[in-house]
Amino acid sequence: MTSLSASPQRSGFAAAIERLPFLPAVLILVVLIALNGWFEPNSLGFRAVTGLVSTYLALMMLAIAQTYVVMAGDIDLSVGAILSLVNVVVIVLMEQWGGGGLTVLVACVVGILTGLACGLVNGLVVAALRLQAIVATFATSIFFTGLALYVLPVAGTPAPAAFWRTYGGRILEIPFVFWAVAVLALLLVALVRTRLTTLLLAVGDDAQGAFQSGLPVVAIRIKGYVLCGLFAALAALCVTGDTASGDPLVGGKMTLYSVAAVVLGGSALSGGKGTVVGSLVGALIIGLINSLVFFVGTPSEWQNLVQGLAILIALMAGVFVGRRVGQ
Amino acid sequence: MSAPASTQKTTPGGNAVLDLVKQPIVVALILIAVLLALGEALSPGFASLQQILRLAIVAALLGIVAAGQNLVILGGREGIDLSVGGVVSLSAILAGNIMSGQDGGILPAVLACVAVGALFGLFNGLGVTLLRIPPLVMTLGMLGVLQGLLVVIRQGIPSGRAAPALSQFVSQPFLFGLPGIIWLWIAIGLFMAFLLKRTVFGHRIYAVGSNEQAAFMAGVPVRTIRVALFMLSGMFAAVAGICLLGYSGSSFANVGETYMLPSIIAVVLGGTPLAGGRGGYTGTMAGAMLLVVLQSILTTINIDESGRQMIFGATLLVLMLFYGRGKAMRG
Amino acid sequence: MTELLIRGARKAYGATLALRRGDFDLKGGEVHVLIGSNGSGKSTLCKIVAGSVKPDAGEVILNGQPVTIAGPQASRALGIGIFYQELSLSARRTVAENILLPDLPMKGGLFVDRAALASRAARYIAEFEGVSGAGFAADTPVFKLRADQRQLVEIMKTLATEAPILIFDEPTSALDRAQVERFFEILKRLKGEGRAIVFISHRMDEIFAIGDRVTVIRDGETVATSNIAETDVPSVIRQMVGEHDEVVAAPPAAPAVSGDTGIALSVEGLGGSGFADVSFSVARGEILGFGGLHGQGQSAVLRAIFGAASHASGSIAVRGEPFAAANPRQAIARGVAYVSGDRGRDGIVQGRPILENVTPVHFLRNRLRIVRPGELQKKAAGPLDALKTKFQTIDHPINSLSGGNQQKVVIARWLIDRPDVLLLDDPTKGIDLQAKADLFALIRQLAGEGLGIVLYSSEDAELLANADRILVFNSGSVTRELSGEDRTRYNLYHAAYEAA
Repeated sequence: MTSLSASPQRSGFAAAIERLPFLPAVLILVVLIALNGWFEPNSLGFRAVTGLVSTYLALMMLAIAQTYVVMAGDIDLSVGAILSLVNVVVIVLMEQWGGGGLTVLVACVVGILTGLACGLVNGLVVAALRLQAIVATFATSIFFTGLALYVLPVAGTPAPAAFWRTYGGRILEIPFVFWAVAVLALLLVALVRTRLTTLLLAVGDDAQGAFQSGLPVVAIRIKGYVLCGLFAALAALCVTGDTASGDPLVGGKMTLYSVAAVVLGGSALSGGKGTVVGSLVGALIIGLINSLVFFVGTPSEWQNLVQGLAILIALMAGVFVGRRVGQ
Repeated sequence: MSAPASTQKTTPGGNAVLDLVKQPIVVALILIAVLLALGEALSPGFASLQQILRLAIVAALLGIVAAGQNLVILGGREGIDLSVGGVVSLSAILAGNIMSGQDGGILPAVLACVAVGALFGLFNGLGVTLLRIPPLVMTLGMLGVLQGLLVVIRQGIPSGRAAPALSQFVSQPFLFGLPGIIWLWIAIGLFMAFLLKRTVFGHRIYAVGSNEQAAFMAGVPVRTIRVALFMLSGMFAAVAGICLLGYSGSSFANVGETYMLPSIIAVVLGGTPLAGGRGGYTGTMAGAMLLVVLQSILTTINIDESGRQMIFGATLLVLMLFYGRGKAMRG
Repeated sequence: MTELLIRGARKAYGATLALRRGDFDLKGGEVHVLIGSNGSGKSTLCKIVAGSVKPDAGEVILNGQPVTIAGPQASRALGIGIFYQELSLSARRTVAENILLPDLPMKGGLFVDRAALASRAARYIAEFEGVSGAGFAADTPVFKLRADQRQLVEIMKTLATEAPILIFDEPTSALDRAQVERFFEILKRLKGEGRAIVFISHRMDEIFAIGDRVTVIRDGETVATSNIAETDVPSVIRQMVGEHDEVVAAPPAAPAVSGDTGIALSVEGLGGSGFADVSFSVARGEILGFGGLHGQGQSAVLRAIFGAASHASGSIAVRGEPFAAANPRQAIARGVAYVSGDRGRDGIVQGRPILENVTPVHFLRNRLRIVRPGELQKKAAGPLDALKTKFQTIDHPINSLSGGNQQKVVIARWLIDRPDVLLLDDPTKGIDLQAKADLFALIRQLAGEGLGIVLYSSEDAELLANADRILVFNSGSVTRELSGEDRTRYNLYHAAYEAA
C-alpha cells in the first residue's frame, strides 16, 4: 500500500486534472475529432456534426442520468428500460390524442413524469429497502420492460410529424438539437451548483461519514435516482425524435453504454467523484469511436470488434490515468 | 465502528427450524416446490417428471454459467463478470464451427473453447489485479470486445452445427434416464463443493472475499487467487456455450447475452451476496432452478409477455427482500 | 443551563459487549473528560449520544426531559455536535464544504450559496490561523491534507454546529503542541459561553490542563467521576487500570539471557514511513516491549519487519540471517508471525468458521493443497486449548465469539507451526481481562520455548507486567530503553510524555 499523502509540488497538468477530472476525456475527444477530420474531412462539416449530435444526444442524456446515481456510489441498470418505457408512453399518448402541437407537449410531460416515477421506484428499492443496486435495478428493469410491452406490445407505431419534424428541424436556422444541447448545458450548469450535487458526492465519498454528520443519506440517494429517471426520460424524448417511432425494447442495449460513458468521463463507480460534463464527453467519445472506425475504412465485419477494443482500451486508460493523478 | 459486525447469530436449539427456513437454499427449494405445485394446478403435467427434466436442462445451462459467476462474486472486492454472456456466445459459435456436425470434432472443440474462455478470463483478471480496473468496468469493456469478435467470426465462416453426439448428450437420456448435461451439472456441483470446502484454494477464496486485508496478512496470494477466479469464470462460460450449442443444434447470434444478468441473479438468490465472502454453489444451483421454474410457470399462465415480465421483475424484488438486504447505517 | 444525563447505556455487537453500563452527566460551562483504555467503550458512549449508534438499553435525559435520539439528525436537532475519532469527512470535498456539509448555506432554494459558504467557513478556519500548516485553505480537497490538518477540519466542522453540547472524541491525537494550545483556548472560550463539552484524550497532561471533571470508563462501565482539582494522575490511572494494579506493582524479573540462546531478531537502522533509524535486537526467550504514546512508530516498525509496509533503509536479520520481506507471505515463510490489534481489519475473516480462521498460515507453511478437516481440527485444537479459547464447536463462525476469544483464534493461527519471531502489535486492544491474562501466560511460555517476542502495547500496565525490556518510542524513534530495575511506571510515563 503506498502512502496517499499528497505532495505539494504537482505538475500543472496533474493539478488541472484534479480540479477537472474529465480533462483526459476531453483530450481523447479532441484527438478523436482530429482523427475523424483527418480521415473524413466532411465529418467535421455542419451537416455531419448535426447528425452525430442528433444520434448521440440520447446517449449523452442517458450517461448524465447514470452519473447522478454513480456520484453517490450507486448504479442503475434500468435506465435503458426506463428509456424504452417513456418512449412507448409518449408515442402511444401522442397517437391517441391525435398528434397536435399541444397534445405532443402534454405527452412529453407525462413521459417525463413516468421517468421520475421509475426513478423514485428505483430509489426506494435500493436506498430505502437496502437492496443491492446491481441486482435490484436489473429486477426493476424487467418490470419496466414489462410495462413498456404492455403499453406497446410491438415496435412500430410512428411518431406524429409535429414531433419528429421539430426534433430534426431548425429554429431560427439553427438545428433543434443544438438548441436542445444549449438548454441542456444551462440545465447542467445549474445542477452542478445545487446542494444536491454536493451531497450526492459526499455520500459517494463516505456514506457512513455523511450519515454520522447528520445528512439524510437515504433521501439523498433517492433524489439521485429520481434525477436519473428524469434524464432517462429526456433521453427517451431524444430517441423518439431520432427514430420517430415507438419500440418497447429500444433502450435495452443502451444501459451498458451509459455506464461506459460515465467511466470514460472520469467518474468513479465507487462514488464521490464524477461530473456530468465528463459523462457527456464520454458519450461523445463512444459516438466518435464508432464513426472513426467507419471512416478509416474498417471492413464492416471488423467494425464492432475494433470499436469494442477501442472502448475497452479507453476505459482502462481512463481509470488508470484517473487514479494515477487523482486520489 | 471498530466492533466486528455480527452477521451470524447462534441461536439456542429451539429455533433450529426457524434457522433452517432462513437459509437461502431452503427458501429457494421450498419456492421451487411451491411453484411446481402451483404449475401443476394451473396446467396439469407441469410438474411431470419429463417436464421437470426439461426445466432442469435449461437450468443446467444457466447454472454452469453461474458457477463461474459465483466464484468471481465470492472473491469479493465488487467481483462480478459481465463478460460471461459474450464468452458463452463465442464458445457456442467456435464449437459449432470446429465440430461442424462431426462427432470427432467434439474434443478439439471443447479444448479450444475452454482455452479461449480461460484466456479472456485471464485478461479480465489481469486488468482487475494489475491495473486495478473495477471488475464491472473491465468485464463490461471485455463484453464489447467479445461482441465484436462474434461478428467477425460469424461473417467469416458459415454457421456451424452441433455434433450429433453433443446434441444427444444435452437433451437425450444418457444414464439412468437423465440427460448427460444433468450429470455434468451434478459433477460440476460436486466439483464446486470439493473446491470450496476441501481445497486450500477454496478456503482462500472465502478469506479474500471476506477480508482481503486479513487474508493478505495471513499470507494468502490475493492477486493470484483473483486472476484464477476470473479464468475459471471464463472456462465455465465456455463449457456452458458448448452445451448451449448442443441444446439448440446450431449456433446463432448473441445467444449468450441472456445469461449475463440472470447468472448474477441466480447467485444472489442462492444466498451469495454481491459483497462476496459468503455463500456457496449449492444455493446457486437452487437459485438457477428457481429462476427457470419461475419463468416457465409464467409462460404457462395465460397472460401476455408484458404481464409475465412485470410479475417476474416484481417477484425477483420480493425474493431479494428475503436475503439481499444491506446493513443499516446506524449500528 | 444545559444538562445532559445518561443512565445505564448498553450496547452489544453480537457477542461482543462494547458498553456494559454507561452513566454520565454533563453540565453547561464545563469540560468533562472521559478517559479509559482503548476499547473500554468511550466512543460507543459518545456515538449513542450522537445518534449514530442505537443503544440496547439506557436512557438519555436532556435538560430534565427524557429524549430518544433516533439518529444523527435528531441528535443535531437536540443541539449536540460531535467530533468523530475516525473523522466523518468527505475526502474529495473541500475544507469549506466539509465544515458546513450538514448545513450548507443555500440560495434560491436549490443552490449552494458559494459566497456565504466561503465567509461562514472562513470564521472557523480563522480560529486556527497560523497553526493549520502549509497547504491548508478553504478550497483544498480534504484528501490532500495531512492527518493533523484533517483533524482540524473535523474540529471546525464540530464547532460549526454551534451546538450547546459538543463532544470531542480524541480530537488531539494527531495535533502538534501549538495546535493543541489553540484548540484549548477555543474550548475555554466555549466553556465561558456556557457550552457543555465532552473531551476524550489519552494524554494526561492535556486532561489536567483543560478538564473540570473526569469520568473514568473501564471494560464498558463508567467507574468514577471526580473533580480534576481534587484528583491526580496516579488515582486516575488506578481507576482506569482497576484490578490490574497489583500486577503492575511488580514487573517480572528479567530472565537471564545467556549467550548461547542466540538472537532471534535484530534490526539495524531501520527507517521508513513513520519511523527513522530504529535499531534493536531480541534474544530467543526474551519479550521486548515497545512503549510510548500511541502512534509513535511502534506499529509501523512491526509492520515493516513483517513485510506489510515497505522500509526505506536499514537491515533486518532473523536468527542471524539477513532477511527483507516484500510481503507478509515471505515473512511467514521465514518464520515471522504478526498479530495485529486491529483484528477487524487485519485479523479475522468475518463470517467464516473458527477452523478456517486458524488454518491459513498452516496451509502456507506446509504448502498444502487439500483440506483434511479431521487432521486440521486436531492440529488447531492444541493452540486453541493452550490459549483457553472458549467456543461451541470449531465450525461455528468466528463472529459468534467474544472479542477476546476472536483474538485468541487469530493468535492460534500462528502457533500450529512454531514461528521463530512473534510480533505483537497491541494485541489486547478491546479484549477482556481474563483473555489478556490467558494470552500473556501463553506468551511467556512461548518465550520459554525459545521464540523471540516483540510486544507493543498501548497499555503501559501490560508492558510493565510482561516485557523484559522496554524501548520507548517518540516521534518514530527509540528515545529510551528501560530494563531491569528501571522498568517503573514513572520512568515509562516520563519517557513517553517528555517530548510530546
